[in-house]
Amino acid sequence: MKILLLGMNHRTAPVHVRERFVVDDTRAALQKLVATDEIEEAVLVSTCNRVEVLVTTRQIELARERLDRFFASELSAGAPLPGGAKLEDHLYEHVGDEATAHVFRVASAIDSMVVGEPQILGQMKEAYRGALESGSCGPILSRLFQRAFATAKRVKNETRIAHRPVSVARVAVDLARQIFEDLNDKTALMIGAGEMIEMALFALQREGLGAQRVVNRTRSRAEGLAARFNATAHALDEVEGLLETSDVVLSCIGGDAPFLTSEKMRRALRARRKRPIFLIDIGVPRNIDPSVNELDNAYLYDIDDLQAVAAANEEERRRESLQGERIVFEEQERFAGWMVALRAVPTIRHLRARAESVRERELARVLSKLDLTREQRETVEAMTRAVVNKILHPPLARLGAQTDREEGLAVLEEARALFGLDDPSAPGAEIDEQLALATDGDADRPSVSGEQKSEDGEIE
Amino acid sequence: MIDFQQTAAAIYLAAGVGALLGIALPSTRISHGAVWGLAAGALVHALAFATLHQLESVPPLTSLPLATSFTAWIGVIALLAFMWRMRLAGLAAVVGPVAFLAVFLASFTTPSAQKEVVGASHSLPHAHVLLGSAGMALLGIAGLSGVFFLLEHRRIKTKRPIGRGFRLPSLEALDRVNVASLAVGFTLLTLGVVTGSFWLQSAEGTPWTGTGHQIWTMVAWGIYAGLTAARFAGRQGARQAAASAVAGFVFLLFAVVGVEILT
Repeated sequence: MKILLLGMNHRTAPVHVRERFVVDDTRAALQKLVATDEIEEAVLVSTCNRVEVLVTTRQIELARERLDRFFASELSAGAPLPGGAKLEDHLYEHVGDEATAHVFRVASAIDSMVVGEPQILGQMKEAYRGALESGSCGPILSRLFQRAFATAKRVKNETRIAHRPVSVARVAVDLARQIFEDLNDKTALMIGAGEMIEMALFALQREGLGAQRVVNRTRSRAEGLAARFNATAHALDEVEGLLETSDVVLSCIGGDAPFLTSEKMRRALRARRKRPIFLIDIGVPRNIDPSVNELDNAYLYDIDDLQAVAAANEEERRRESLQGERIVFEEQERFAGWMVALRAVPTIRHLRARAESVRERELARVLSKLDLTREQRETVEAMTRAVVNKILHPPLARLGAQTDREEGLAVLEEARALFGLDDPSAPGAEIDEQLALATDGDADRPSVSGEQKSEDGEIE
Repeated sequence: MIDFQQTAAAIYLAAGVGALLGIALPSTRISHGAVWGLAAGALVHALAFATLHQLESVPPLTSLPLATSFTAWIGVIALLAFMWRMRLAGLAAVVGPVAFLAVFLASFTTPSAQKEVVGASHSLPHAHVLLGSAGMALLGIAGLSGVFFLLEHRRIKTKRPIGRGFRLPSLEALDRVNVASLAVGFTLLTLGVVTGSFWLQSAEGTPWTGTGHQIWTMVAWGIYAGLTAARFAGRQGARQAAASAVAGFVFLLFAVVGVEILT
């Protein structure tokens, strides 16, 4: 069984290509995919930055062709790509361990446009839930996604991939935290009522900022924004008075010259009795005179300063993602071990069936010659079952322990040869046909409820 | 007795190293562990003083190394008290090693070294050293928070990004520590000066003998009186207060310890 992944993301396809492949009804698409013989299980991840289809298959070439068709005709409804672009130029493919590592990387936000962003994990969980509900997710992809979520948790906890903020609004909040110990007793003054102010207001409020005031040239817009955030609205000419009692000031309004001059700020600082004030100027042209930063107790950051901090933080996240890669590698190895161990399941099942067949036949032969009561028959039957189980337990346990790594495949082969599992003339071989029928000719297909190996390699 | 002191010294050192690792790695768990280490060190340190006191029947404060050790103990306790309400784990990286040095050096002092004090049977000399040392410890914490404040202030003003993990306490927390330490430290220093005068009055019949120690300590006290007045009258901003706290403590250290060693 192989894992195959085909997809496109923000690095391989521009938005005007990606938007053609966004899937609204993933359940219907998944059901169509698993209805074909070549695909056993499927999960579809569709976000604004990526569309990926992950499948398990025994016929890799056929599955690949099926997924190509799926992208070319079903997802994009067969329409040609803009600018005559070729679909294959935007697609990437991962098989086996590479596919596993890729899924782990995506879930851990190492592969995201903004490294360490938290949304992707929720989107992956949503994709997994969709696949479970559509019935397209079997034991292998289920296990893969569970491990992907565990990997994401490890990467988040063991590295600092998501510690430093990278959005302008979050950087502003983080800087405010470097100046003020508590934000819940502080007051913010927002000058402007645009989208950036709204985002910053949201970020500040989430950090528990005490009170917010909104000032705008058009008072009605200030009132509208203030109402949404439970803030107070004020007119622009009130700014100087408001500065005396505001601790964080965020400004983004239009205008040719800075409206908050060094002199105005000096007066405000005097009135504030030297309490510090943090000013964030995201207006272009700038709203606050840069020389304000030279005043004691005034800390001024403009949009370039914030972006420089955001870029440095992003770089830090990228460095941390290297640590994340180490975790991804460890988890991918672990998952590969589990996949190898899965191959032991049919052998173990086969061996048990053969032993049981021999036991039943020999028991029937002996019982036919003896005149035993019902209780005596049950006792003999239990005894033979116990003997078989006790003899089989050590080799089966060792088989389970050995086969969770690639070298274990040789042990598996030896076990098959040793017990004559491929020899149709061996004792108990008559059960092989029934076993094949019982598993629908698919002896090595793992089942969710059947025998599987647990985390520590024990057969459950 | 010596065992308790050396154990406390070892714990302080481990806490200091832990705090440094907590900053450098960075790891919140290690930083928290370092704070608990400081608390454990302070507890063992208290046991060391209790043992000394039982052995000698007089407070173990009247030799310079033991008084320095006591100052370190008060400093650690003051820092732990501030940490209760504020994120100040970075300061433990300095306080831990300093406390280690103070306790380690004091552990080599023999108990008999403190019997030569004039009027030692009276409680005044011990009250003087106890209050003066406690005052110095608090003013030392004010100076330390001042150093951290100036570093962080400069980083934020020049818009340098935080280095990997080197996140210092917030400016507001450092300033709060500065104000509180200055207020309590100056009060204790004043009480130390007053009890010192009473001690001299009872031992030598005059509150002023004009020794170098007395002169320099009074100058230091005067400087701190000015700094405290300026701070509480709102004539000093946080940055000037931080710079003053650093300069003031350097002077106080010279006035109390430097002059003691030189004379």
